[in-house]
Amino acid sequence: MKVTNLVTAVLLLALSVLVLLGTWELPYWADFAPGSAFAAFWVALVGLVLALALLVSTLADDGREPHGFPDRRGVARVAALTAGLWLMVLLIPLLGFMTAAIAFSLFLLLGIERRPLVPSLFTTAVVSGLVYGVFIAWLGIALPAGPFGL
Amino acid sequence: MDALASLAQGFSVAMTPTNLLFVLIGVTLGQLIGALPGIGPSAGMALLLPVTFGLEPVTALVMLSGIMYGGMYGGTLTSVLVNVPGEAASVMTAVDGNQLARQGRAGQALAAAAIGSFLAGIGAVTALVFLTPALSAFALGFSSPEYFLLALLGITATASLGTGSAVKAMIGATLGLMIALVGTDPIQGTSRLTFGSLELLEGVDFLPVAIGVFGIAEILVSMEQTQASAAVRTRLRDMWLTRKDWVECRMAMLRGGVIGFVIGLMPGAGPTVAALLAYVVEKKASPHPEKFGHGALDGVAAAESANNSAAHGAMVPMLALGIPGSASTAVLLAALVLLGIRPGPMLLTEQADLVWGLIASMFIGNVILLIMNLPLAPLFASVLRIPYSYLVPGILIVSLVGAYAISLSLFNVGLTLFFGMVGYLMIRADIPRAPLVLAVVLAPLMESSLRQSLMLSEGSPAIFVQRPLSAVLALLVIGSLALPLFNFMLARRAARRAGVAEALSHSSD
Repeated sequence: MKVTNLVTAVLLLALSVLVLLGTWELPYWADFAPGSAFAAFWVALVGLVLALALLVSTLADDGREPHGFPDRRGVARVAALTAGLWLMVLLIPLLGFMTAAIAFSLFLLLGIERRPLVPSLFTTAVVSGLVYGVFIAWLGIALPAGPFGL
Repeated sequence: MDALASLAQGFSVAMTPTNLLFVLIGVTLGQLIGALPGIGPSAGMALLLPVTFGLEPVTALVMLSGIMYGGMYGGTLTSVLVNVPGEAASVMTAVDGNQLARQGRAGQALAAAAIGSFLAGIGAVTALVFLTPALSAFALGFSSPEYFLLALLGITATASLGTGSAVKAMIGATLGLMIALVGTDPIQGTSRLTFGSLELLEGVDFLPVAIGVFGIAEILVSMEQTQASAAVRTRLRDMWLTRKDWVECRMAMLRGGVIGFVIGLMPGAGPTVAALLAYVVEKKASPHPEKFGHGALDGVAAAESANNSAAHGAMVPMLALGIPGSASTAVLLAALVLLGIRPGPMLLTEQADLVWGLIASMFIGNVILLIMNLPLAPLFASVLRIPYSYLVPGILIVSLVGAYAISLSLFNVGLTLFFGMVGYLMIRADIPRAPLVLAVVLAPLMESSLRQSLMLSEGSPAIFVQRPLSAVLALLVIGSLALPLFNFMLARRAARRAGVAEALSHSSD
């Protein structure tokens, strides 16, 4: 947990600096009222203080609490799912939302979860039907369509 | 009496066929979402919020709130039968409930939880009926300093009353405030932290944050290992309490219900803290504390009464002040805003049918949930036999379609995935996610009230302590910040004393 806490503290420190630098050009105080950078300044300051508090308390702590990340296989499954989700989003403009979603569902069930083919196809059909029925037919939301009209 | 007349009017709104149907849909979804490990009521509400876009506001809210308190009932099933809490507030139920199931008393554990949740839920909604108008009338005297302090208290209390590290809870809240800063400054109209992106000019929507941080993140965690937990094979025919069981549980239900409601009223604490506290109090009050951890029926009754009561109690500050006290009520508040309704003390007078219809629907929803959790419990328990991996594609695809539906933009879908990854890293770094979501919801109110206050006082911070009410709120904020420090110092002192005692015992050896 010690390394995780140190990384968290450094990331928060970096984010706080980014907020400070990103609003540096904006006025802290306009003519008669707080300006656009007012809240940003104080939030960044709180972020800096909290990052330093976490950094100091972690360095002072001699506990051996294990980190909370999964083993290599778990990381691989999470990474595969995340990659699949991003790939689906990138494919939506090319294939359409429904087609990309069907491809993603099959990739998840057959590729990552290693489930049998028939239940996977059935699950994908149910999910697609649900999305089509609720979002397209009932709510009338125009999901991006691809070459197959879906 | 005014409250009772308004409640009668609320029943006429809630009893329309459409609203009754959506109460049923909401509590059924809540029951299922609560039962499924890996996705809690807040995530379920955020995922299903876009589905309510085509509904009347009151219909949408009765459905979403049904998911919120339905989740409290549903979490019991998984806790008792699988020993995996369906949602965080059922952690204490899993401890004793699963032990009871292994002793062949799953029916009694589920019945005690269902009856306790029902009685505490009805009690809490009754208190809600009388407390909400009173608090709302009181809050009409609030001005910008009070609103700023109240919103700030909502965030700082999350840190001091939460179950984990106060510093990490504050880090979660700070991240939420940073997210809320992105976009166009609401007062001066200048772009802030958009880094040239046109999509970010309107700011980051609440839903991609909530769906990502709660929904996607929880699915990513559940993907770390193959879900192979099996439900305890047990008889679910004895779904009722004997006279002896009732005598054992009735005071636990009462204590749990009262503790839950009071905790629910406090900003930041929520059903999980309520269930933990009720369990600890019950262990102290019980004539057989040795049974706790090994199958105490009164422990299950206390924890379940408390979490349902807290879920309803959290509605009081949300409806009366427009300040959410928990992650679920933050989603409900976001739903109000998305439906074009302005939350705050005027809500009760401007949208009386909506508020009273919602409150009346909770009485109806609790009755439906009692039926679902007594005679129909075996039916819902059978859902647990569906392998979780078959549910994952549906949850993820509905999440992403929902994110797209908010503004018909793929940018929001990407943002949802980004916040899903942020939420996953937060879970692994042990940073609570509820403060982040609460901060995103409360930040606009906080910033505008802070700047208006300083504008009125020409920059003097004394405005925050000039009026008695704002001074009290300022003291509460300071108290909520000091409490974790005080606890830290007490723990250090206790550790030092224990160290000295150990050294003395070693030296005497």
